[in-house]
Amino acid sequence: MLTSQDCGESVFIMEEKAEQAEQKDQENGTAQPAPKLSYRELFMIFITAGLAFGGGLGILAVLEDEFVSKRKLVSKEEFLADYALGRVVPSGTMTALAVGFGYRFGGWLGTVIALIGLVLPAFVITIALTIAYGYLKQGPLLDWLPITVLPAALAFIVAAAVKLGKDVFKPSLDFVLAASAFVGAFVFGLNPALLLIVGGIIGIFIFGRKKPEGAAQ
Amino acid sequence: MSLPLLVGMIFLFNVMTFGNGPVMIPLLQKNLVEEQAVLTVDQLLYSFAIARVTPGQANMYVAAIGYMLYGWVGAILCVLAITLPGYLMIPLLKGFEHFKNNQQVKSFTRGLTTTSVGLIFAATLQIGKSSLTSLIAWVVFLVALGLTYLLKWNPILTLVVASVVGVLLKLWA
Repeated sequence: MLTSQDCGESVFIMEEKAEQAEQKDQENGTAQPAPKLSYRELFMIFITAGLAFGGGLGILAVLEDEFVSKRKLVSKEEFLADYALGRVVPSGTMTALAVGFGYRFGGWLGTVIALIGLVLPAFVITIALTIAYGYLKQGPLLDWLPITVLPAALAFIVAAAVKLGKDVFKPSLDFVLAASAFVGAFVFGLNPALLLIVGGIIGIFIFGRKKPEGAAQ
Repeated sequence: MSLPLLVGMIFLFNVMTFGNGPVMIPLLQKNLVEEQAVLTVDQLLYSFAIARVTPGQANMYVAAIGYMLYGWVGAILCVLAITLPGYLMIPLLKGFEHFKNNQQVKSFTRGLTTTSVGLIFAATLQIGKSSLTSLIAWVVFLVALGLTYLLKWNPILTLVVASVVGVLLKLWA
């Protein structure tokens, strides 16, 4: 399992080294082949990742396989450093990784190609299933949705919530925070957006002094 | 409710929740279902079910919501809204790498994630009140929860088996 810790390797230093190597090549005139990817390869890698099941971790496994194990384009340390950076970006972590790797191997156009590859499979299937819903709603199948797909979806949401908080379900500050949020939203009807921001700020105070530990997900 | 408002909302919620699919559910439930009343609980649930059985990122259900409300344009703009913040990766790669171990950012995300667990349960109860209206629905819900959480079955298999249970119960009843 990949974690965001222990990736002391600095991307910055890596980039500096790469730049130095590039300059050297230009001076010598002997092109030491730097890792290169065609746009087509870049697209194929990310569409493969976009077809992976299992959400973020499923995608991460494909990217690790393609960039680190198979093609040896980036070292394990670099990959972990990029992953850790991606988690700080306020978007899906895999979106951030697509931008990062796309930019590194294909510039601005590379970011667009990587993102399209990552998003396209899920987008097409999602829209197809949404169109199917439009037909289900009008047809005789409507009666079946409330006893099949919809309660199952609710179960997925509950399972996702339980998996999110590692320490939430034992006596801990996490439990107090989550329980307060529940009461605030359910009993007092406070705005969830407001509660999220307040929860984050409280997090800085109550989790900030503990030994470093990554937030769940 | 207008298209720019929807896209702005999705953009904001995605940034606030660091692109975490399930964490956005309470925000969407509150704003789109309760306050704006442009989306039904069933539509929100169906969108989330799609996200679970579709490959790729779990927050892609915003495309379904965008499509339900504003067709192709809505779907594409909602996906752009959750994608564009990813471009912050480039300045980060270029030298702000110390952020990755920034304790404050980590603690903030952890506080936010923890809070969201409580919020998701609150939203689940709200949704459940209007969605789990029959005994069969409850059975299907519990079967799906057992399969996905306790037995760790994959979502597609879980959805199929839970649905078959629902269909059989209804035919038998």
